Amino acid sequence: MTPLLETRSVTQRFSGLVANSDVSISVGRGEIVGLIGPNGAGKSTLFNLIAGVMPPTEGAILFDGEDVTRLPAAERCQRGIGRTFQVVKSFETMSVIDNVIVGALVRATHIREARRNAHEVLEFAGLAARADVLASDLIPSEKRRLEVARALATRPKLLLLDEVLTGLTPIEAQTGVELVRRVRETGVTVLMVEHVMEIVMPLVDRAIVLDLGKVLVAGKPQDVVRDPKVITAYLGDRHAVGQ
Amino acid sequence: MDKAFAERRRRELMLAGCLALVAALVPLFVKDVYVQNIMVLTLMYAALSQSWNILSGYCGQISLGHALYFGLGAYTTALLFTKFGVLPWFGMLAGGVISALIAMALGYPCFRLRGHYFAIATIVIAEIALLLFQNWNWAGAALGIDIPIRRDSWLTFQFARSKLPYFYFALVLACIAWFVTWWLEDSKWGFWWRAVKDNPDAAESLGVVVFNSKMGAAAVSAFLVAVGGSFYCQFVSYIDPESVMGFQFSLLMALPAVLGGIGTLWGPMLGAVILIPLTELTRSFIGGSGRGVDLIVYGSLIVLISLARPQGLVGLFARKKKALAP
Repeated sequence: MTPLLETRSVTQRFSGLVANSDVSISVGRGEIVGLIGPNGAGKSTLFNLIAGVMPPTEGAILFDGEDVTRLPAAERCQRGIGRTFQVVKSFETMSVIDNVIVGALVRATHIREARRNAHEVLEFAGLAARADVLASDLIPSEKRRLEVARALATRPKLLLLDEVLTGLTPIEAQTGVELVRRVRETGVTVLMVEHVMEIVMPLVDRAIVLDLGKVLVAGKPQDVVRDPKVITAYLGDRHAVGQ
Repeated sequence: MDKAFAERRRRELMLAGCLALVAALVPLFVKDVYVQNIMVLTLMYAALSQSWNILSGYCGQISLGHALYFGLGAYTTALLFTKFGVLPWFGMLAGGVISALIAMALGYPCFRLRGHYFAIATIVIAEIALLLFQNWNWAGAALGIDIPIRRDSWLTFQFARSKLPYFYFALVLACIAWFVTWWLEDSKWGFWWRAVKDNPDAAESLGVVVFNSKMGAAAVSAFLVAVGGSFYCQFVSYIDPESVMGFQFSLLMALPAVLGGIGTLWGPMLGAVILIPLTELTRSFIGGSGRGVDLIVYGSLIVLISLARPQGLVGLFARKKKALAP
């Protein structure tokens, strides 16, 4: 079976700066894949290329067996790619439920259906009690959950999570981890960018490490964390030698 | 939860119906022609501001050039009537359609601009249109167009002897603009527009085609404003470029919504009811020479509002409701 998502030799340059260079990754159906790497490794760029914020300078992106390289973000969402934003982008003047309805409208033919689906998603994400609150009145961890809920309401096949667990308290992060697990149980494939290794490693089936815009290592999380190349990338040469 | 929402929507509709009924009865008690004139203008600006609010309030694309669509509505009606004998009712429809098409044609380049740049573009375009009309001989150029007065009739929508038909038509216009807003508020478009206003990037990521949403809002907004312009043309029976396409119309459409509450259902209505009588009264008390004084009055009002209550006067009611909730 073809993988759900595949990038083929994707390269992205920003006027001289090469953010991604010849990146080829694939994500299988039903997987939880972690995209990790030190600051400036090109995680966010790759993430944005997959989400359709801009087309890559070179290379191709295949989703569900089809070439989506040139499709705009809205159309990718319609095809089944949902995403969250690292810096949360709630619709601040709208209530929580209205935020989620916007996402649900992609699949619903009628507003009433979208509202019903949105309520279900809020229930799933543990935000049902906050449905009628303005998004601007949510606390940060709730805003993160709203990001996930809104993306889930679009019924994605692939959910892209951009540092949803970063900066949360340990308890909040644990709730987040459980939410991601439950998302996968509903049949959604997850690709998550994370910075904090301790949180993601127990969660993901596979980890892809980016460094300096290139794929450094990809594999099972327990192998990846022991890989000297990864340790060098994160901590510098001295520590790798000490191993 | 859904029930409470449906209940609120129904209450809004009933409140609007009651208010419209009360407004319809007012002329039975107010016979003064001067006051009736103010009431007609208030209702007209309420309708215009409500229409402006669709693009600028809900969708967040601040237009300060809606005088263009107002003028197009007026001119289409006047030209079709005087040159081809087409009844104003068809002129009204034609004006609306032409304005909607032009709004989309202009939106095509302009909706790529964000924030203030879009607002500036709308001002410039409306001013260019004003200059074009001032030099367009076939359309009367700067002299304008006189609508030939005939017998009072609903057919030609002319009433030289009474303000009442205009009053009731303006009331219907305000009701239509309100109802369209009310209906759109709980539609796909309504949600898309608010999402686009709050955060276009997030909207795009949720499958909303931001550009198309803006185009839709512009078309609906321009259509309704043009119908208002067409009405105004019949009401005053004489138009020239400055009197239907001047910048003050763009302002007078925006200000009631800003005063009452931008992007809200009731804001434009509330704003118009306060602002328009105030404008007309200061204008008549100070006399023809003080043309700028009314502008000073509502300029200060806006400053006060934006300092004390940026979300507009309807924010006062919202806060009360919130305080009552457990």
